[in-house]
Amino acid sequence: MIQVQHLSRQFRSTRALDDLSFEVTPGVVTGFLGPNGAGKSTAMRTMVGLSTPSSGRVLISGRRYDEYREPLRVVGAVLDGNGFHPSRSAGHHLGYLAAANRLPKARVAEVLGLTGLDGVAGRRVGRFSLGMKQRLGIAAALLGDPQILILDEPNNGLDPEGIIWLRGLLADLAGQGRTVLVSSHLIAEVALSAGRLVVIGRGRLLADSPVEDLTPTGGATLEGIYLALTSGMADFRSGHRAGDVR
Amino acid sequence: MSTTAALLRSELLKLRSLPSTYIAVAAAVGIGLGVGTLVMTSTAHNWLELAPQDRAAFDPVADAFFGFQFAELAFGALGVLVITSEYGSGTMQPTLVASPRRLMVYAAKVATLVLVVLPICVASSFAAFLLGQHAVAARHLDVALSDPHVLRAVVGAGLYMVVVTLVGFGLGALIRHTAGALTVMFALVFLAWPAARAVESVSYLPDRWLLVNAADALVSIHPPSGPDIPRTPSLSMACLELATYVVVLLGAGAWRATRDL
Repeated sequence: MIQVQHLSRQFRSTRALDDLSFEVTPGVVTGFLGPNGAGKSTAMRTMVGLSTPSSGRVLISGRRYDEYREPLRVVGAVLDGNGFHPSRSAGHHLGYLAAANRLPKARVAEVLGLTGLDGVAGRRVGRFSLGMKQRLGIAAALLGDPQILILDEPNNGLDPEGIIWLRGLLADLAGQGRTVLVSSHLIAEVALSAGRLVVIGRGRLLADSPVEDLTPTGGATLEGIYLALTSGMADFRSGHRAGDVR
Repeated sequence: MSTTAALLRSELLKLRSLPSTYIAVAAAVGIGLGVGTLVMTSTAHNWLELAPQDRAAFDPVADAFFGFQFAELAFGALGVLVITSEYGSGTMQPTLVASPRRLMVYAAKVATLVLVVLPICVASSFAAFLLGQHAVAARHLDVALSDPHVLRAVVGAGLYMVVVTLVGFGLGALIRHTAGALTVMFALVFLAWPAARAVESVSYLPDRWLLVNAADALVSIHPPSGPDIPRTPSLSMACLELATYVVVLLGAGAWRATRDL
């Protein structure tokens, strides 16, 4: 369970998060949507203690993130800008993370196998493709077998096979009763994998409900609902609609 | 095993899994020993042609450490890179996600760096000393470790390298950018010297606070002579200065390390 409580974050002149509150419950994949700059990444970084909120707090299973001594056992996170040293091997990257939280070494081999990277454990991450790096980020998130997963755009760079694999993995994890929060800008992907949706815009909550409540029988697509919810909220919107292009 | 030990193990693994660590250490040790030995060999070779004042200025210990004035840059660069590469490549992010207590991570990094660098620095200062003495032994210019001040000078040379490594680390933590931190480290170690010279008509105090002059006081077995007398701090003052550099820069780095990425 993730509880976001009255979270605000002020960056110099811009308010990235504005009294944001919602809960992410176990047993279902929760999609996290919003226009570029809506504050999704800031909210997720705040959940894992990387970004200090101006006010409000996030509770992870009832405690603040920095109260955990070995948080990888509780939370696994994929964040944007994954943070691999290009000269370090994938195995060593997972190795130092495992060491920091006293996770067994065997776990490194396990998550490498789980993400299909077992053949390249000794390869420098600098020689990885974007998709392989994304898989390594997912491997790192799974390292401590956590009950809670916070994944910021985990589809980025994955090939179609990888996207399908990840969709299955997320469904399995949620099915096991874990808490799974996934941000994405691919609405079609979210529609396929998420059972719940949290939509934010300009740092404020716009919607928080099961997917079927948002798309009642009447044929409205999730895309249409999303655009209606976020209309006027997007800071960056192209000047022409798709139909305008000649 | 406690959380602290786990953090140390993690940081050690990080340091050991990067090729740049080995390159910086190899460069530092190679230059430190090589240049010092060359200087001592050439002094021994030219001894009979040397002017009397040059012979008087010969310090069989300090001169053996001639290469350390280049090696210190490699150690300082190692200190900088250990931390700026984490901010540059973004590995600080997974590190802090795994260990959210930022000051603990910072302390573990400092401890790991000292743990790795201290034995290397002390061992290479003994090696530089022994190689240097061997080079001038034929002229009977060598001194023994048991001679007055010699052991202090040899240990001091090794510790000074650790100090420069930590100065680099503190600057790296404070500035978070490799190029910027390297530049400031380089300026502090090398370029501060002409700056201090330029204000000598006003005060010798900047001279006495230079890292390199503190190092001179630490590694010489002869008292300073001629124009160097007002520039060189006393031995105890030199120790105090080096401690101040370490405390101030590591402290500034610690403050920055607690801030968001």
